[in-house]
Amino acid sequence: MINSILRFSLIFILLVLLQVLLFNNIQFSGYVNPYIYIIFILLLPVEIPSWLLLILSFCMGMVIDFYSGSPGMHSSASVLAGFVRPFVLRFISPRDGYEPGASPSMLIYGFRWFLFYSLTIVIIHHTALFYLEVFRFTDFFRTLLRVMLSSLFTIIFVLIIEFYRRGR
Amino acid sequence: MRNLLNFLERYNNLIIFLILEGIAVYFLATRNYYHNTRTVNSVRRLTYGFEENISNMRSYFRLHEINENLASENTALRNSINRLVRNSSSVFFSVSDTIYQQQYQYTTARLTDNSVNKQKNFFIINKGTRHGLEKDMAIIADGGVAGVIVGCSENFSVAMSLLNLDFRVSARIRSNGYFGSLSWDGRDYRKATLSDIPQHVVFSIGDTIETTGYSAVFPEGVMVGTVTDFEKPGSDFYTITVLLKTDYRKLHFVDVVDNKKKKELIELDKQIQ
Repeated sequence: MINSILRFSLIFILLVLLQVLLFNNIQFSGYVNPYIYIIFILLLPVEIPSWLLLILSFCMGMVIDFYSGSPGMHSSASVLAGFVRPFVLRFISPRDGYEPGASPSMLIYGFRWFLFYSLTIVIIHHTALFYLEVFRFTDFFRTLLRVMLSSLFTIIFVLIIEFYRRGR
Repeated sequence: MRNLLNFLERYNNLIIFLILEGIAVYFLATRNYYHNTRTVNSVRRLTYGFEENISNMRSYFRLHEINENLASENTALRNSINRLVRNSSSVFFSVSDTIYQQQYQYTTARLTDNSVNKQKNFFIINKGTRHGLEKDMAIIADGGVAGVIVGCSENFSVAMSLLNLDFRVSARIRSNGYFGSLSWDGRDYRKATLSDIPQHVVFSIGDTIETTGYSAVFPEGVMVGTVTDFEKPGSDFYTITVLLKTDYRKLHFVDVVDNKKKKELIELDKQIQ
């Protein structure tokens, strides 16, 4: 228990640093802004109580908001991601249920399962985030393109990190 | 009572979700919280050392480029000195300062934080109220428009970058003086849009766009960029794409412009209205 609290705190700090120092500075013509801090919400154990998940997502969003100067934007999007996560997990639960105490991982449930899981949550998160950022529906399709491209890049980074975890 | 408890138990996630989302949306709706001096101060205190280090490192890597910019600026200044010296030797030039009162005062500041990849970009400079900066002062970089200060703390100021969907500046075509409203459409960080130029106006690609000085924020004649493209939408006005002079990704040192006569102008404006 203590061990996993420590581990997730470390992941939290690492992801915030990565996001703020590296990924917030990435830009390809304004269309690609990967938000990889979402990995934190993806990796929390399956059996975490929903209220804790929501509060942790909120904290993650708040910290990112703090550093990127965008009040409430990331908090709101990641709370939404935290809220839909249990539903997504229930929807794609494997036949013999989840292993107790484990994180959703590619190693246990396979590549296709993990891809579907992370893709759903990342797209929901990015859609909320980018539309909140623009806060209007003119240029609807351009924002949609931004959502798609950024989600694609985020997913690539999520998969790279997941492969690395698997390799260990 | 039991029904209520059952209800709470059944929907507790939804309730927590709604509460947290409500807090987030509240922050989002009262956007000024970031411009609020106190918040800027506390955020600065938390991240100061961190960002200062990064900013130092960046400026080290860009020394070459910064030197080049400074050198070119020096030449430009030297040229203008020559022009002034020639003027003062002419018979009709008056040197009395009561006539040529300085209207704009410039201060140099350095960026400690910047972004170009959002739809509403802000940057932070390392001078604040202690150095005489105030809200609504203009910021110029390499002789081009950079932004406007929206909030000051003691040692720092937050400025709205031109790359912000809420930014508007009055700009004109230098060759013929027709003016319109310049804004950023959120697409390309090198390009902005100039609208409200009527269709009978003649101009060509490559023409210079500069500020008008009507707003009492920017001095007159600060370059914004050059025309790269224009189209005629259905209406009577052109939509002109302007290639910005300032490269916001390389923004490092900026000049803050203080309009000494702004108060006078605003008061006069109020009297008339």
